[in-house]
Formats: sequence, C-alpha cells, structure tokens
Amino acid sequence: MNGLSRQLNVIDYSLSSLWRRRFKSVSVMVVFAAVIFLLASFQMTTKALTQTASRLLVMAPEITIQKMRAGRQEPIPVAYREKLAGIFGIRRITPRVWGYYFNETHAANLTVIGVDPRLMPLGEKLAAAIDTGRLPGDHEVVLGQGAEELLGENRMISLFRPDLSLKPLTVVGRFRPATDLLTYDTLFLPPDDARDLFSLPPELATDLCVTVANPSEVDTIAKKIAALLPGTRVLTRSQIEKTYHAVFGWRSGFASVCLLTALTSFIIFAWDKASGLTPEERREIGILKIVGWQTADVILLRFWEGVIVALLSFVAGYTLAYIHVAFFDAGLFRPIMLGWSVLHPRLRLSPGVEVGDVLLVLCLTVVPYLAATVVPAWRAAIIRADSALN
Amino acid sequence: MRPAVIFISLVGALLLADGLLALHQRARRAENDAEAGVLRVTVSGLGLTDLCLATEARYTRHPAVSDPMAPFMDHPGALEHFPTGSFWARPEAGR
Repeated sequence: MNGLSRQLNVIDYSLSSLWRRRFKSVSVMVVFAAVIFLLASFQMTTKALTQTASRLLVMAPEITIQKMRAGRQEPIPVAYREKLAGIFGIRRITPRVWGYYFNETHAANLTVIGVDPRLMPLGEKLAAAIDTGRLPGDHEVVLGQGAEELLGENRMISLFRPDLSLKPLTVVGRFRPATDLLTYDTLFLPPDDARDLFSLPPELATDLCVTVANPSEVDTIAKKIAALLPGTRVLTRSQIEKTYHAVFGWRSGFASVCLLTALTSFIIFAWDKASGLTPEERREIGILKIVGWQTADVILLRFWEGVIVALLSFVAGYTLAYIHVAFFDAGLFRPIMLGWSVLHPRLRLSPGVEVGDVLLVLCLTVVPYLAATVVPAWRAAIIRADSALN
Repeated sequence: MRPAVIFISLVGALLLADGLLALHQRARRAENDAEAGVLRVTVSGLGLTDLCLATEARYTRHPAVSDPMAPFMDHPGALEHFPTGSFWARPEAGR
C-alpha cells in the first residue's frame, strides 16, 4: 500500500467515523465555525476601517490648534494667527467653526462645520463632493445624506441658537453618497453662519488649521507653535492617524476580550468532547487494535478527524465572515460600534484578506483546537484492546 | 463514491466560492479607489479629522480631536456610559 492510498483510506475511515457520530461532530463544527466567523469578522472589520482611515485621513489638516482650559477645549482667539506670523514654513492658518447640533425631535447629533473652502487645500475642488447643488453661500447650507434624511428634503431648515431663537438656512446641496463615511451627519455652512448658530463672537473660532509648506517640517513647526501658545493643544496629522490605529487596534476594547473568551470556551469544549471517550468509542478502538491497527494508526485516525473538522469549520467560518463584513456591513458588530447613535452611516467596507490575516486566525483557532485534541487522541490510542472490550 | 472524494469536493466547492468572493473584493476595491479622489478632496477641503462612524458622543464622533479624558469628564468621578466608548480603545499615551 503506498502512502497516499493509505492516507486516503484513513481519511475514508475518519469521515465514516465522524458520520457515525454526526450529532457530536456537527455540533463541534458549528461552534468552531461560529468562533472563527466572529474572530475573522472582527479582524476584517477593524482592518478595513483602519485602512480606510489611513487612506482618507492622509489629507487631514497638517496641524490643528485647540485652546484648552481646565482640561476642556474652548474657542480659540482668531488673533492667535498673528502670534504665529513669525514662524517660517507656515503657509496659511485657517480658522474653523464647528460643533454639534442636537436634534431633539430625533435625539440625533449632527456635526456642523463652518469653514471657508477657498482657504483650505483642495477647497476649490470641493464642489465635486456635492451630489446635487452647489457650495453654500451666506445663509445657505449643504447637508450630508443622513442629515437630509433626518431633517427632510426641505428647501429651508431652521435650527435653534443657544437662546432658542431660530436661524433659517436655505438648503442648496447634498453631499454625494460616496462621502457618507465622512459627511453623513454633516451640515456644511459658511463660518459666519456657523458662528451665528453657535452664538460665537467673530473674534473666536473652534480651532485653527495650519497648512505647512514643507511636510517634513510639521513636527518642528508644531513644537514652535506649542511653545508660542501655552494653553493650547497642537495636533499633527500623524497623531490623528495614530489615534485611528489605536482606536481600531485589534487587541483593543472589550470585543476582543469577549472573542478570546469565546475561543477559550471553545477549546475547553473541544477538549471535553475529545477526551470524553464513550463506551462505543473505546470498543471501536479495541476492535481496531485486534484487527491489527497500531497505536500510530489510531493517532493518525484521530489526527485526520481533527483536521477534517478544523478545515471545514475554518473555510466555512472565514467565508461567512467575509460575506458578513462585505455584504452586510458587519451587521452583528454595528450595534456595538454605533452604540446609541441615531444616524447610521453606510460603511461599504472593503475587507482585505491577506495571507497574514488568514494565518493569524488559523493560529488562534485551528492550532489550539488541534493541540487540545492531541492528548485525548493519544489517550484513546493507547487503550489496551482487551480492556476496551471488557 | 468514496467519502474522501466527497469531502475533497466539498472543500473544493467552498474554495471556489472563496475565489468568487476574491473577485468581488477586487471589484469593491477598484470602486473604492475610484471614489478615493473625491473623498480626499472632502477631507482636505473641509479640514476633516475623523470618520463619521459613531455619532452618539463627541469623543466617539471625533476621537482624534477630543480631549483624551473626555469620556470621564462630565463630572468628577463620572463613569463612561456610552456603549461605543467601551468598544473603542483608550487614547494613545502621551498624546
């Protein structure tokens, strides 16, 4: 008997053996596939979001300056620009007025952004991001898709100022659905209208965006700004990118703890299933030994049973995970990721599957499973034929 | 048909489905690349710092520009109570 034919015969026997115990085998496979599905889904979701953040936020402001007082951010004087005029390498400093508007009717938070795009890099092309309409002029607003769904497709909207007086705005456009991941909850209007809405005096802004001539000087310029403006927080683009890596870091948050708990539970379950030999299994091994099977053959049989269960569960679990993330926007994780958010932007995730990711999930699931079944397999294999048949 | 052949066929069918999903992934990526230009213009033109994912609290809507201690600063001894806050990682040390 050559090696391949022997292995095929053992696989045949393993499959028949698994089929005889099909309720037990299928229950192990379903639980195993579910654990792999959860781990892989979580890995794909966080990776897709991290990659999206890295790809898009590469165009975030090079430096953002916020004023801090008593540990909280507060409006920053626009006159701070003059204090920074002496720093060589700064191309432009643009004040931004932005904040949140709580829509009490729907209990939703909207993001209000007041910025003059003519003063921002690539601002002259911003019209390309607007689906229907144009950039807002005085007393006009452009809405994100979610904000429009919430406020209705009205030509005019009225928002409450802090003193509860109404500020009317004309809706002149809507952001393209492709920009949902950035603008879904956004109300984009001129800075003076945003100031009026927030009752912010003209000499104040929410933060200052600094454009730098040479990107390699960003860190040096940020240090100079921090030295010149004590009481401010100076954020660089690289720090913003790092935040997203930390936020979506695979090992972070309780989700990974829950998933690892599920994995540990599964390993204990697999160990229990594999080590608890039923009288029928002991009898089967005894008969195999009597008809000439060696200990190594029984271990090989158990090995193939483990591989078959692990392989089928892994491929099925990983495939379902991709479908879950790519076609259903990671629907199982969305309630956790979005919390009490009323607006649910469409993510359109593009889960990248690379060899390293597959190997990581493989190492976290299949290897512990096979390891957990090795000792029970050996214990089963060393049963004496006569004792098994008694 | 022997069981090993059925098993190998089943695994082959699953891998074939994976191959089709890989084609889908390539198509989705091409779509995303085509939209990347307008998304970058949006980020740059509005000076955006964050993705619009969770809108329930300011520190989950704009984690990059929120105060590091924002989840706990509503009042002394305040506990984090928004669901998304517990899912997201703590801010990087030294920021």
